[in-house]
Amino acid sequence: MTIPRLEIRRLTHRLPSGGRLLTILDAIDLSIGAGESVAILGPSGSGKSTLLALMAGLDRPTEGEVLLDGEPIHNLSEDRLAILRRRNVGFVFQNFQLLTNQTARENILLPLELASDEAAGTRADELLDQVGLADRGHHYPVQLSGGEQQRVALARAFATRPRILLADEPTGNLDGATGERVLELLADLQRQEGTTVVLVTHDASVAELTDRAVHLRDGRVERDEVVAGGDRVGYQRQVVAG
Amino acid sequence: MTLGIFLRHLRRESRGSRGRLVFFVACLAAGVASVVAVAGFSEGLDRGIRSEAKTLLAADLAVRGRQPIPVGVEAAIDKIAGAERTGVREMLTLVAAGQAPEEADNQHPSRSLLVELKGIDGRYPFYGELELEPSTDLDVLLNDRSAVVAPEVLTRLGLGVGDEMRIGGESFEIRGVVKREPDRITGAMSLGPRVLVSAAGLDRANLEQLGSRVNYRTLVRLPAERDGDIDTIVAELAGLLETDGRHRIETYTEAQPALRKGLRRVSSYLGLAALLSLLIGGLGVAQTVRAWLAGRMDSIAVLKCLGYRPREILWLYLGQTAVLGSIGSLVGVGLGIGLQMSITRLLAGALPVEHLEMWQPWSWSRGLILGVGVALLASLPPLVAAMRVPPIRVLRRDADPMPPSRLAVSGVGLALLSSLIGLATWQAGSFVVGLLFTGGLIVVAMVLGLAALGLARVATRPRERSRLWLRHGLAALDRPGASTVAGIVALGLGVLALLTMFLVEYGLSAELARDLPKDAPTAFLVDIQKDQWPGVETLLRDEQADQIESVPMVMARITAIDGRQASELRQEIEAEVETRRPGRDNREAWALRREQRLTYLDELPADNQLIAGELWGQPDVAEISVEEEFAGELGVVLGSVVTLDIQGVELDLTVTSLRKVDWGSFGINFFLVVEPGVLDDAPQTRVAAARLPEGREQQVQDRLASNFPNVTMIRTREVLEKVAAMLTQLALGVRLLGGLTVLAGLTILAGAVSAGSIRRGAEVALLKTLGMTRRQVMASFATEYALVGLVAGLIGTVGGAVLAYFVLTQGMDVTWENRPWWLVGSVAATVVLAVSSGLAASVGALRKRPIEVLRSVTG
Repeated sequence: MTIPRLEIRRLTHRLPSGGRLLTILDAIDLSIGAGESVAILGPSGSGKSTLLALMAGLDRPTEGEVLLDGEPIHNLSEDRLAILRRRNVGFVFQNFQLLTNQTARENILLPLELASDEAAGTRADELLDQVGLADRGHHYPVQLSGGEQQRVALARAFATRPRILLADEPTGNLDGATGERVLELLADLQRQEGTTVVLVTHDASVAELTDRAVHLRDGRVERDEVVAGGDRVGYQRQVVAG
Repeated sequence: MTLGIFLRHLRRESRGSRGRLVFFVACLAAGVASVVAVAGFSEGLDRGIRSEAKTLLAADLAVRGRQPIPVGVEAAIDKIAGAERTGVREMLTLVAAGQAPEEADNQHPSRSLLVELKGIDGRYPFYGELELEPSTDLDVLLNDRSAVVAPEVLTRLGLGVGDEMRIGGESFEIRGVVKREPDRITGAMSLGPRVLVSAAGLDRANLEQLGSRVNYRTLVRLPAERDGDIDTIVAELAGLLETDGRHRIETYTEAQPALRKGLRRVSSYLGLAALLSLLIGGLGVAQTVRAWLAGRMDSIAVLKCLGYRPREILWLYLGQTAVLGSIGSLVGVGLGIGLQMSITRLLAGALPVEHLEMWQPWSWSRGLILGVGVALLASLPPLVAAMRVPPIRVLRRDADPMPPSRLAVSGVGLALLSSLIGLATWQAGSFVVGLLFTGGLIVVAMVLGLAALGLARVATRPRERSRLWLRHGLAALDRPGASTVAGIVALGLGVLALLTMFLVEYGLSAELARDLPKDAPTAFLVDIQKDQWPGVETLLRDEQADQIESVPMVMARITAIDGRQASELRQEIEAEVETRRPGRDNREAWALRREQRLTYLDELPADNQLIAGELWGQPDVAEISVEEEFAGELGVVLGSVVTLDIQGVELDLTVTSLRKVDWGSFGINFFLVVEPGVLDDAPQTRVAAARLPEGREQQVQDRLASNFPNVTMIRTREVLEKVAAMLTQLALGVRLLGGLTVLAGLTILAGAVSAGSIRRGAEVALLKTLGMTRRQVMASFATEYALVGLVAGLIGTVGGAVLAYFVLTQGMDVTWENRPWWLVGSVAATVVLAVSSGLAASVGALRKRPIEVLRSVTG
């Protein structure tokens, strides 16, 4: 049996709020294969961002397990989690989260340097070229448009060829056309690198572009379905070894 | 992560924060500048004082005694590479005008004069200036047939340069006039004017005979590189001396007790001031780093997402702090040098040092090390807090920080504590002081913290009927994330430090100013015969002298104490001293050996204070009053019986009182004062002191010489003027440095308060969006800051006053004066400072339209 890239077992997360515990996620089970692209959908407060955070080891679950390639990550120390993230996880955020005091190229270089990639410079230039910003590498985020910033964020997220890429509302702060362009890019990169993508969105049209849509409501999986038109823009279920 | 990558990230991460960190550099630079200026100034002053002390001794060390200095000691001195030695012999003798007796007119004997004769063998002086006329070297003027004399000798004997005079029956040509000798100040009570001859000349005069009282001195100049070894050298030489105390070794380090006391006060104050200014700088740094990191939280969360480990985050920002700390410290060193230069220029000519050494790499490195150290220490707590920024913040900005690691908290606590003790010990030069300082600081910080918590609790009790702005202002003290505790602790400590410094500085300057002997006598008259006094007094009054004081003086020797012979006591003391401080001088035994000058008085002069017993209260015994320190040296207490030998007559006197004498008054004072009536008929002379109008000294001296030739006048105006000028300038210097530190501290405190306020832009915007008017927002903020200021001001002021009280009264022996209005002023100033800087920092946010701020916060 193939080990899923990411497996979530009985994942529960509670947060204190106003003197009592609020259940954000309630015993969720989820299994995501290598190279799969999954959209997590749900209204505000359904727990989708929390689920994303737990998958990346950004937060610790109250109960349950998170396994990356069969290895539990929910009980790793902060240091081990940091090292795990630097090698295996890429992020794309709604508000881009580029380091404002670093140029576009430096933002892309950062994870490569952290992973001690000897060809960091070449790889960064290559990625800048791929996202169509070869001539903007020396610009600071504030000098770039929202779409351009998100393209830099994409390049940064794919830089270390992570096993899994987590995207939180990647088009949430972009206009329709720009958002579409960013999604196309994301699809291209995913195809090239064979990355597993988990994408949180409340936009059903974005979800249509993925292989699979997991609907959350009140901290539980309401529906888990294969997206029919998933391969229209290139998202397709494929198994990539390793 | 490799070092190269780390350094690259360090450089990149520093971008964008640079503008904000100008304040960091400024805080630190101000603190370091004070440290460097204070360290440099006190180092320079210290060197100056030491060289001044050398001047007073004319050498690095001197071996002295009533008998020739042992050959072995001189040989040992000659073995010290680079050391120089000069032999000096001094004695009292009569000199006369004119040629040798056979040529003189026996019918009209030439005038004679008691002089202090000094025979010099070698280079003299090693330090200080021998002012001669003609201005040349002493050895040019002196040979075995010539002498150089004080102006009084010429006046009194009616001679001029080129004339002959007789010393010990031999003729000497007067080749010049000695106006000032560096080491003559030490013996303010001299018995006659100076005559200098060469060693060969002194031998020719053949005055050194059996029983003659000669003071032998060997002056030694050590090579500069051996300066630090002086104690070892002294111990070595003392080992060669007989233990009978016939010879003593003096070093420049023990010169002038009164002067040294004053200077010790000043340098201990300066050390304290530097320590406190450093602390204030540290507070500023801590506040800045906190505010800086608050702005970097999002970046830190992103870095963590990208795989930065918590400790790498710590190193990244610690590295930046170190870089900024170095920049701030370097700027501070530069400023400090400038400050030191301007102080020196300002005080030019008035300091006891003619040239304050500017090249002081030690002070500079001290500033650098302390600056970077304090920067790192102060930023450690906020930096460790930064390690706790949760990576999930990238998704949820309000995420709680990660739980603190117990190891990290205790590690930081331990690092802070030990470094603080270390730095304080280094600055204060004493582990005990360092420990006390740190302990005091912790106690005060805890009191401030508790008070802040109390305030937050009390102030936020619901008061529904009070005004909206007041309610809001009070509530703000206890809102989640409020920096009430941190603000009150920082501000309170700052106030404490500043007030302490201010009070200490003021108390000290006042004391220094008080020390100025404004009414001190400018002339001393000795050897006045009892029946001459009325005439001398009239003469002084004619010359408009005021504050004329005169007392009888009787020479005596202590022969026994409580029935035990002085010789026996002496041996006992010497044996004890030998075991306690092998090889050092034994003052106690010396007190028993030398001839004592004593007086008898009805009432004590104003500069004497009775500290034990009663003055002349026992009609049935002959009473004596002893100066307290001298009593300690003699080992006498109330009731002890001191036996005195007054020119062959033995007299038993009972100690019935002990006195404290303010030697700084420069008045006529005695260790031993006897009850009137007891010594009335003893052989005696009178000494007098008077303040002469400026410029009249010469005339008074001439008139005395012609009417009372046996009376010797010693002028002290020069000495007094020198001491007075020095004390005034020291007070000014202390005030200047203190003032600068206070100024720097105020700027830093204002910044510290406003650093917290910058973060409140969003709050202003929100309140305005909800409909509060700008005036209401300001009133609400003012309420909050006023309360913070009030609590910090109250505790800081009380703490500062208590600390200053102890520093002044215990540490520096200065009288404490209550100044309640100053304390009220300090509290009021803190409130005003807190409110004004808090509001000033909110002005920007108040002016902006709410939407601008809200967009930038949420976007």
